[in-house]
Amino acid sequence: MPLVIEKKEIKNWLKELKKGFAVFDVRKSVLPPKQYFFPPKEETFNFDLKSQKLSVPDYEGRVLLFGLNMAHLEAMTQLDEIMEKPRKDFYYWRRREKSVLVGLTDNTVIVPMGGDIILEKINSKQYQVLVLTEKGKKAIKSKLIKKIAKPVIKKYSTDSNPMKEMLLDSELLAEAVAWSANHKIWDELAKKCLGCGICTYVCPLCHCFSIEDRVNLDGESCSRCRQWDACTLPNFSKIAGGHKFHPTVKERYYNWFYHKFVRAYKEYGKSQCVACGNCKNNCPAGIGIAGVLMEIVGDYEKYLRT
Amino acid sequence: MKNIYEPEKVKIIGIEKLSSNVSRFRLASPKPGKSVFKADENGLVFNPGQFLLFGLFGWGEAPFGAASSPYEKRYLDLVVRKAGVLTEKLHQLKEGDEAFLRGPYGNGFPVDFMSGKDVVMVTGGCGIPPIAALIEYIIKNRGDFGNVYLIYGARTPKDLLMMDAIKKWEKDIKVLLTVDKPDKNWKGYVGMVSELIDDIKINAVDAVAAMCGPGPMMEALEKILRPLGIADRRIFVNVERKMQCGLGKCQHCATGSKYVCQDGPVFNFDEIDKNHD
Repeated sequence: MPLVIEKKEIKNWLKELKKGFAVFDVRKSVLPPKQYFFPPKEETFNFDLKSQKLSVPDYEGRVLLFGLNMAHLEAMTQLDEIMEKPRKDFYYWRRREKSVLVGLTDNTVIVPMGGDIILEKINSKQYQVLVLTEKGKKAIKSKLIKKIAKPVIKKYSTDSNPMKEMLLDSELLAEAVAWSANHKIWDELAKKCLGCGICTYVCPLCHCFSIEDRVNLDGESCSRCRQWDACTLPNFSKIAGGHKFHPTVKERYYNWFYHKFVRAYKEYGKSQCVACGNCKNNCPAGIGIAGVLMEIVGDYEKYLRT
Repeated sequence: MKNIYEPEKVKIIGIEKLSSNVSRFRLASPKPGKSVFKADENGLVFNPGQFLLFGLFGWGEAPFGAASSPYEKRYLDLVVRKAGVLTEKLHQLKEGDEAFLRGPYGNGFPVDFMSGKDVVMVTGGCGIPPIAALIEYIIKNRGDFGNVYLIYGARTPKDLLMMDAIKKWEKDIKVLLTVDKPDKNWKGYVGMVSELIDDIKINAVDAVAAMCGPGPMMEALEKILRPLGIADRRIFVNVERKMQCGLGKCQHCATGSKYVCQDGPVFNFDEIDKNHD
């Protein structure tokens, strides 16, 4: 029997959940859900310079994220895999393990791509509660979520998304991007791109980081921090002595695409993109992945025919 | 859950100045009599060519190739060149001080594949540490290898590191030294020159090469290894990148579709020579 929640009761359900979880509505942040498990900056170790004692900061939190769209749920499934292999990332998983992800969509769900619970709109007043995991099962124990024998279920279709369609053939994308190394589009993009790194921060899948130590002002203790980095930033590939493997914007921008569509495909069999549009919506220069890929794939297909 | 980023405390039991800005740090467990790392079933503490992340809290950590014998369980040597904030600080340390180490990471040279063959090793300046570990391995198993050569180049005779070890190795392998700027006592070669080939006698169809770059890499390839007839597939290159996590996640060491920290740092030359970076 379908589980249903009234639209107006959702906020009351979230209030109930606050007893067991730190609840965050992800729709309120421009940063993607990864920030709750892989924060922009976190202390990984504390070290007391006097006693020479090393410690790992405690973490006891239990997070429930509400309002993830379907692309972000899919991204979380992929990010879990990235942080799982080849070895479990300690800092990501100690936050992620006990967390619960609640998706929210006004379109009819065809295949759920991740999360523990999805609220799916079935009519103007009600959402169906799809429970996908054991963790999800525990979180829906509420009088506000009811079993209804025959709720009114309307179909809401998703708008077509050409990027999403392209992603279905990630092998073609991998071939096309690898082939495009000398394509003129990278010169054109290098002129547009400001090299600010925003695209990678708002991307739900980008996970570059750097590790830096910070010494407290008293000089008696310090911490090792892991913070978001971006492969599009100038010093990302710099080694001791100053040499940079990606000295120009063009090389860095291409490397970003190369990771998402070529290296990721070889590593995980998938592009590291879920067509969420965050990069395009937040790029100060107005660059969109979809347009770039369409041009490259188009030219690659022409090349294959000649 | 294991914290894969947690380093181990080590004690510096020896510091030896190798040149004006390079020192060798000998690291051991802070507990006397204990080994820094466990040896595997073949008695190896690491594979020659693997790297470790070595550092100090407050100053960070950086990747270094292990330079001691992989069979040595009492200590591990790292060669550190002053090149930045951390290495500057490391050079101020004294014997008895403590630091932090994690690893070893990466694959290392394919010693099983190399065994039974003639070996030509090429490196320059500060690229000697991983090659040194490989030489120690070869000498320990000398009977398993054919003719073995080390071609080692540097800018000046003073920049040739680990000369004490080189003198010792010369009993078991042939060492060819070359510098760009010789002094008046210099008797070796000048530059990575093709004449070096005349001193190398190998069975090219069954020989392998090991390099640690980037310094002399392309020149050695063009003037020595290819003329000798060693195929690119059999040239193993130890690659340098900025490994930060060591675990294939942070993306700093990516080259093409590979991660230097996980898939490398040793690659067949033909695996990486066509990478866009």
